[in-house]
Amino acid sequence: MEILLKNVSAGYDSEKVLHDVNLSIREGETVFIGGRNGSGKTTLLRVMSGLMDFEGSVTIGGDEISKMKRRNAARLIALMPQAGEMYFQYTVYQTVLLGRYARTNGLFGNFSTEDKEEAKAAMEACGVYEYKDRLLNELSGGQLQRVLLARTFAQGTPFLFLDEPGSSLDIKYRAELCDYLAKWAEKKTSTPFGDVKNTIVAVFHDLAQARSICERTVFMKNGRIVADGKSSEVITPECLESVYDFDVAGYIERQVIIR
Amino acid sequence: MDNQETPEIRKKTKYGQTAGIGIALSLAVCLLILLTAIRAGSVYISIPDLLKIIGSHITGKPLPQEVDPMNDSIFWSIRMPRAITAFLVGGALSVSGAVMQAVLQNPLASSYTLGVSSGASLGAAFVLLCGLSFAGMESFMLPLAGFVFGLLTVVAAILLASRIDRSVSNQTIVLIGVILSLFVTGIMNLLMTFYGDKSKQLWLWMTGSFSARNWTHCAVLFGAGIFGFVILMMFSGRLDILTFGELQASSMGVEVKKTKIIAMLVCSLLTGVSVAFSGVIGFIDLAAPHVVRKIFGPSHKIVIPMSFIYGGAFMALCDLASRTLLSPREIPVGAVTALVGAPFFAYVFFAKGRRKA
Repeated sequence: MEILLKNVSAGYDSEKVLHDVNLSIREGETVFIGGRNGSGKTTLLRVMSGLMDFEGSVTIGGDEISKMKRRNAARLIALMPQAGEMYFQYTVYQTVLLGRYARTNGLFGNFSTEDKEEAKAAMEACGVYEYKDRLLNELSGGQLQRVLLARTFAQGTPFLFLDEPGSSLDIKYRAELCDYLAKWAEKKTSTPFGDVKNTIVAVFHDLAQARSICERTVFMKNGRIVADGKSSEVITPECLESVYDFDVAGYIERQVIIR
Repeated sequence: MDNQETPEIRKKTKYGQTAGIGIALSLAVCLLILLTAIRAGSVYISIPDLLKIIGSHITGKPLPQEVDPMNDSIFWSIRMPRAITAFLVGGALSVSGAVMQAVLQNPLASSYTLGVSSGASLGAAFVLLCGLSFAGMESFMLPLAGFVFGLLTVVAAILLASRIDRSVSNQTIVLIGVILSLFVTGIMNLLMTFYGDKSKQLWLWMTGSFSARNWTHCAVLFGAGIFGFVILMMFSGRLDILTFGELQASSMGVEVKKTKIIAMLVCSLLTGVSVAFSGVIGFIDLAAPHVVRKIFGPSHKIVIPMSFIYGGAFMALCDLASRTLLSPREIPVGAVTALVGAPFFAYVFFAKGRRKA
């Protein structure tokens, strides 16, 4: 299965954020999306998951994503959002269980035993099971991020889109997240459309974290893709400098953490 | 240390097993309030007599000798339909408030604040003033007009909001709703000036009243209420997810636009029918869902039925106060809901900040 973007442009109100993007993501890939703030990374993830209007074409397994039923799309792609403010105070468990919505059936959409077990497994994987009865507003930023991550995992899709999944995590959880994602990427997920190899598309600002998980790197600048290829070939001092508009390699070299 | 707490203890916290007790207790209190609302007043009746009256009407058997036929007409024809109408209106308004708050992810949303109530009241006023009616449709004209005008107000609010702010943010809709609501109130005031002879009737409409309601009102309300309730219960999972925002809801598999439109239609129906039979009664639809969420948590599978129970019970209580406090004079029930409810709501809302867990 493949996600294919052809001549995609998108934006908010009058401002265009993506310009004429062409991209193909094949199942089983681990893709790092990099670039400066406002370069269109989040918009790209949203367009690829069919969450906003766009010009051009986005297909998944040959089907136009904008014409797919959301329930079916949500069985293939899960997007972990950046955390926002919440007024309605669900418990951690309730929140993660909602990730199983696309699998519920029946008139009143009750969750099955399997849904509950999967939610539990996702909470355990993200280290939030011990807080399962806490309310969302009682959590720290990092805990909330892990809850959203657990909800995204609970969705049980082969395509996992992550928008800065480690931004609020402490160093230990970041390392654990990387290990977990790397292991997860080796597996397959069964969907109503057959078995699909697990695929990660993730936005990171921590290059080391990105490099440890993702074999492919896509760099964006001003709403266009400016580099795309194997991480080991794309992430070079010259490329980083042109993408981030400053001497990234020199900066990383000057950083002193332990000596 | 989190680990010292055993899982058994944690199981019971936060909307867990205590929910069952809460529901049972709430139902009991609600029944008690309804019973009091029916019995209280200048004429006294014993509970066995009341049950005999109800029994004779349900079974169709003649009234037992020992029951005063006067009581039969007072309780069966006046007080019971009145109390039950109040209960159903309170319940329907609260359910629609709870759902609107979820759909717009805005704790301040309700039929009242969005202008649906005033829109519906304007529709009802037109029917009243023009004497508009079709043969055989008499009892449906007011609710129909209420529904149509309530819906028109929501559509107007959303259209206007989309002109101002293309992403139609939910804040804008609420703001426009408030503006529309004020505008419609202005029109109502104008109508009252032009139709001086009917101004008393119109004024009752704007402040709300349950006097002289009959079983037909109850039946229409009950039908609309059950219809709306079942549909919204089917939407409860979608509503839960929608509170996380439209983008997240869509990524989790919810058809956001369809869900929003259907939910708002059903809310307009519930509000329109309620307002047509009671006038504009604010506040309960805003407050009851908040109280319910504080007690039972935000899951709509429980918020929707409990909002119905709490909103209904609170409305029945307010109507009781409105007809008994200054008896024989009647206080507009809308005034009672605001007078009793506002401080209570303020307490509930601000107490939340002080309590940590």
